[in-house]
Amino acid sequence: MKRHRFFRSRSIHTNIAISFSLLILCTTIVLSYTSYRLSSAAVMGNSVAYTSQLIEQVKLNIENYISNMESIAALVLTSSDLEKYVKGSSSGQEREAKDKQLASQYLRSVVQSRTDISSIVYASSEGITVSDRLDAVLKPLPELVSQEWYQQAMNQTGVAVSSSHVQHLFQDEYRWVVSISRKLLDTFSEMEAERQGVLLVDLNYSVINNLCKQIELGKRGYVFIVDPAGSLVYHPQQQLIYSQLKFEQLETVLGIKSGSVTVNTGDEQKLYTVDTTSFGWKIVGVTYPDDLVANKQRMQGTAALWGAVSLIFAMATSVFLSYALTKPLKKLEMNMKKAERGEFDIRVEIESTNEIGKLARTFNLMIMKIKELMSQIVMEQEMKRVSELKALQAQIKPHFLYNTLDSIIWMAETGKMEEVVEMTSSLSKLLRSTIGEGEELIPIARELEHIRHYLTIQNMRYRHKFTYSIEVHEDILECSILKLVLQPLVENAIYHGIKHNPEQGHILIRGKREQSDIIIQIIDNGVGMDTEQIGKLLLQKADYKSGSGVGVANVNHRIQLYFGDHYGLSFASEMEEGTTVTLSIPALYEEES
Amino acid sequence: MGSLWSKIGLSALLLFFIVALGWVGYRMFTNELGTKVRTIIYVPKTIDSSIEFWEVMKQGVATAAKEFGADVHMVGTDTELDVDKQIQLLEQAIQEKPDAIILAATDYYRLVPIAEQIKAAGITLITVDSGLNGGVSESFIATDNYEAGRKAGQELIKNIHSDDQVAIINFVQGSATAIEREKGVRDALSQNGVNHVHDTLYSNGSSRKAYQLTIDLLKNQPQLKGIIGLNEPSTLGAGLAIMDMGLKSKVKLVGFDNSSSEVQLLEKEIMLGTVIQKPFTMGYLAVKTALEVVSGNKVDPIMDTGSEFITKENMYTSENEKLMFPFIE
Repeated sequence: MKRHRFFRSRSIHTNIAISFSLLILCTTIVLSYTSYRLSSAAVMGNSVAYTSQLIEQVKLNIENYISNMESIAALVLTSSDLEKYVKGSSSGQEREAKDKQLASQYLRSVVQSRTDISSIVYASSEGITVSDRLDAVLKPLPELVSQEWYQQAMNQTGVAVSSSHVQHLFQDEYRWVVSISRKLLDTFSEMEAERQGVLLVDLNYSVINNLCKQIELGKRGYVFIVDPAGSLVYHPQQQLIYSQLKFEQLETVLGIKSGSVTVNTGDEQKLYTVDTTSFGWKIVGVTYPDDLVANKQRMQGTAALWGAVSLIFAMATSVFLSYALTKPLKKLEMNMKKAERGEFDIRVEIESTNEIGKLARTFNLMIMKIKELMSQIVMEQEMKRVSELKALQAQIKPHFLYNTLDSIIWMAETGKMEEVVEMTSSLSKLLRSTIGEGEELIPIARELEHIRHYLTIQNMRYRHKFTYSIEVHEDILECSILKLVLQPLVENAIYHGIKHNPEQGHILIRGKREQSDIIIQIIDNGVGMDTEQIGKLLLQKADYKSGSGVGVANVNHRIQLYFGDHYGLSFASEMEEGTTVTLSIPALYEEES
Repeated sequence: MGSLWSKIGLSALLLFFIVALGWVGYRMFTNELGTKVRTIIYVPKTIDSSIEFWEVMKQGVATAAKEFGADVHMVGTDTELDVDKQIQLLEQAIQEKPDAIILAATDYYRLVPIAEQIKAAGITLITVDSGLNGGVSESFIATDNYEAGRKAGQELIKNIHSDDQVAIINFVQGSATAIEREKGVRDALSQNGVNHVHDTLYSNGSSRKAYQLTIDLLKNQPQLKGIIGLNEPSTLGAGLAIMDMGLKSKVKLVGFDNSSSEVQLLEKEIMLGTVIQKPFTMGYLAVKTALEVVSGNKVDPIMDTGSEFITKENMYTSENEKLMFPFIE
């Protein structure tokens, strides 16, 4: 499976922290949002319930007012004073006027007993009119009869309730009322049909106005009342609606008996809570859903704030947790880096028993094993080197021996006994020092002793073809040098420098100390070598057949094996001028080595 | 390198959340500030509670204040003529540093300097009903008086012949409202071929003067068939003169505004009808517009609240009842 680049390029620590954070972020957002939604829904539900209770209360109050008016109407209609006047039982103008006055007085007493009644008027088509005010001038009968309250009452049985309107019964008097009118026929059933009249009780509009006005529905909410015909009985913004600055969904309202509905008017959402009175008015509570959750902003803010707080807390925890988890891993990684660099003396200290702890223990075991193997390899290498050295040393003996013995034989044959003695003596000393006690390092003094014997032998062999001199500082005589390193160099100077030189040559061996190193030079004034020859010299293996003795290359190799690559041989040569071989080794005293 | 990046990443993440937290806190804080109640000072021409027009406008103002959650308080002079006092009240209003001032200017010219001061103080100025020379305010909310005048003229024309004589009784010379209304009337008449229009008479806002002028007019001009009164006293005076001279069936009267006296003239059929304004709408729109300007929204520099022609027949319809007989609590 292809892993996402995002996760690949980051550490486990970061990955864990980021994953945790994202997880926590999502969870917190979901939780905060859900809790906000739930509590907002709960508040909303409460508000709706509260609104419908209020609306029901308004409905009950209004029903109460209207039924009061109805009972007043019923009471008035059964009064004997009114009945007397209406029936016209008294004859004569004076009597009739008296009856009218009594009836009016009765009506007035009823009106005065209640503040919510504006006026009570009785009118009948055959010309009888009476009101609670004797002095006020009623409008002419035809006008009264044509008014809505009269017509409505005539056209229906029972009580007719009008919408709110301006009552214009009296001259110069215009009051806002709600009219309750009722046919006389219902109570005076024995009367003939044409002697019909209507009783009107006007309810002060301010009663309804005050009742609705005091209802507080949130910040902006309000109550309005609409009658079954769809005309507004009460609306705080009635004029705005008529001016079409505001709209209400009256058709929706008229379709509902009771309950709540959300509507869109203009650019805003409103919640209508509708209840219907017994006589058909619909009381509508208008609330704004935004308003309903009065502390919506605060709830949002609180939800967001606590969400953010817990988020930060959780984030910190996740960062800490991922740190704690990856810390041992980091430690392990650090130790592995060390091991990579070659340090094997390490141990990862992780005590935990979990996967990482197991890993650490395994790592420790592995490192131990590697260490063991390493020391084993070192030992083996050492052994190999020693045996190789021994082999190299061993290579010298037979080669030189044959040549010298050949010379001795030759001298003996020619009867040069003195020389035979000298040569054999030198050889004997040479062999003794060569075989020695098997140690590798010897003092320079001994090596020089050895080389003197060697030079003596060679000088005799080549019939004094060269002279030699040794100039070595006394302070380095006690320093150690590898056994038998000078001999091949001198041999080389003889064979390649002096031997082919027609004149008598000279070999100079010079030794001195340079800082912590010892420099020994073998200088000859022979034919010299070109660079190609020098290169060959260092590369070649010991070439027994050519008789060139133990290879210079072997000397170089031994020095480097023993003292390291910094040391070894270097050559400086000029054709026909001679060659200088410089040998460098560290200045070591016997005690130190 | 890798660990450096992850450290940067983590720090960035943490920083992001701290910033987010800060933002939420800031939002909460500013929301508290955002719900700060706007204050508006409403200066009508008069606070005389017996004048229905201003009472109804006050209702409109109060309705809007409740709906939009603004804190509106009213200051004003006892009469519509006290220009100096109104200027003084506005000076005080500036000291209170409201968000907006709604002004019904008592004078078209004299209030311009104080209006400039209001604007200079960074307060939103809305004029209602009566505006200012040069349109200093952010918005002027009133009846389109030219249109109202046209309406009156057109309604009169329906009841007279084009060769009939017509008189106009205006209320004051030089008032912007008066000029606009008269222009509307004259344009409507001439466009419909009524060319016998008498020189304008001025009642100076007195019904007695209007009565006297009309009596003289009716006596001297027996051919007169129509009169248009351009405000309440002018109309009332003319109506009473017609009634007293018994010329109800001969001379048609169209008026302006509403009062119970005018309602009687309508009911007695002395008057054909009256053009009425909508002070509730004016008050409501003034507050709404002021709040919109304060919130930084663009508004129309002039808003027409409209007018209605009311006759005996339609005055008790539920639409017109509220306008004709405002319910004053």
